[in-house]
Amino acid sequence: MMFWATVVASGIATYLMRSLPLALTLRGTAPPWLRRYLDALPIAIIAALAGAGVAVQDGQPTGGAEIGAALAVVAAAAWRRNLLLAVTLGVIAVAALRAVGL
Amino acid sequence: MTPGRAAIIEGWPVFVTALVVGTAFGLTARQSGLTVVETSATSLIVFAGASQFVMVDLLRTGAPAPLIVLTVVLLNARHLLMAAAIRPFVGASLARRLGLAYVLTDEAFAMGVGWFRRGHRDLTYFTVFGSLMWCAWNAGTLMGAVFGADVQDPQRYGIDFAITAVFAAIVVIGVRHRADAVIAVVAVLVAAGLRLAGASAVAVVVAGALAPVLSFALGESRE
Repeated sequence: MMFWATVVASGIATYLMRSLPLALTLRGTAPPWLRRYLDALPIAIIAALAGAGVAVQDGQPTGGAEIGAALAVVAAAAWRRNLLLAVTLGVIAVAALRAVGL
Repeated sequence: MTPGRAAIIEGWPVFVTALVVGTAFGLTARQSGLTVVETSATSLIVFAGASQFVMVDLLRTGAPAPLIVLTVVLLNARHLLMAAAIRPFVGASLARRLGLAYVLTDEAFAMGVGWFRRGHRDLTYFTVFGSLMWCAWNAGTLMGAVFGADVQDPQRYGIDFAITAVFAAIVVIGVRHRADAVIAVVAVLVAAGLRLAGASAVAVVVAGALAPVLSFALGESRE
C-alpha cells in the first residue's frame, strides 16, 4: 500500500514538473538569484547521487574498488564525453578491482 | 535525412545506455524486494531514471513516503526549467504538449535542444527520440525485473555500479564552468559524508539542495 502511494505520488509530482511549463504560457522572468540556484541544481543533485553511491553500496561503506572505478569514469567522461563508453569502462573497472580484492 | 531518422541515428548510443541502465534498475529493484509488476509500474508511472534508483533505495531502508516523494520532487525540479526552456520551440496543441511532457528526460532535453539549435522547427525529432528512450527504458526494466532474481551475486559483474557510473559521467559531461565543478565536488563530499555518517535517507536531498547555494558566492566566475 505504502509502495503504491509512493509511486503514484512520485509519478504525479514528476509529471506536473515536466508538463506545467509546457502547458502554461508564462510572462516575465524569475529573479536572477533563483535562476542561478536552479541552474546549478541539476549538477549538484546528480553529483550528490554519485557521491552517495561511491561512499555506500548496499548499506556497507565501500572499499577502494568503487573509488578507483569512479575515478576511471571521471577520466573517461572528461576524455571522450561519451556516456556509454564511460559507464562501460566503470562497470568493467569495478568488477576487475573487486576481483583483485580491493 | 528525415527528422525521425536523424533522431534514431544520433540517439542510438543513448538508447543502448537507457536499455542497459533500465536493466540495472529492474535488477536492483527485484533484489531490493519489489515484484516484477511493482518494478515495471515504477518505470511506467515515474519514468525518471535517477529518482527511481533513489526511490528503491529509500523504500528498502524504510524511509517515510513523504520524504521519498520530496526527494523525487527535488531530484526532478530541473525538469521545470527544461520544460520552460523548450516551451518557445513547442507550438503544438495542448494535448500534444502534454504528451511530449511525459517523455521529457535529461537526454531528450539535451538532444532536442541540439536539434532546435540547428535551426529545425519540427517536433518529430524530439517525439521520436523521447518515445524510443521510453521504449528502451521500459524494455530494459522488464528484462532486468524478469531475469534479475536469477542473477546470483550481481556485485561480481559490477552491474550494481552502473548507475553510480552514469551519475558521475553525466556530471563530468555536464559541467560547463568552474562554478559547476566546485558545486559538484562539494555535493559529492557532503553526500558521501552524510551517507557514511548514517544519514542515508536525506544525504542526496541535503547535499543537492545545499551545494547550489555556493552559486551565489561563485557567481562572478560565471559567464
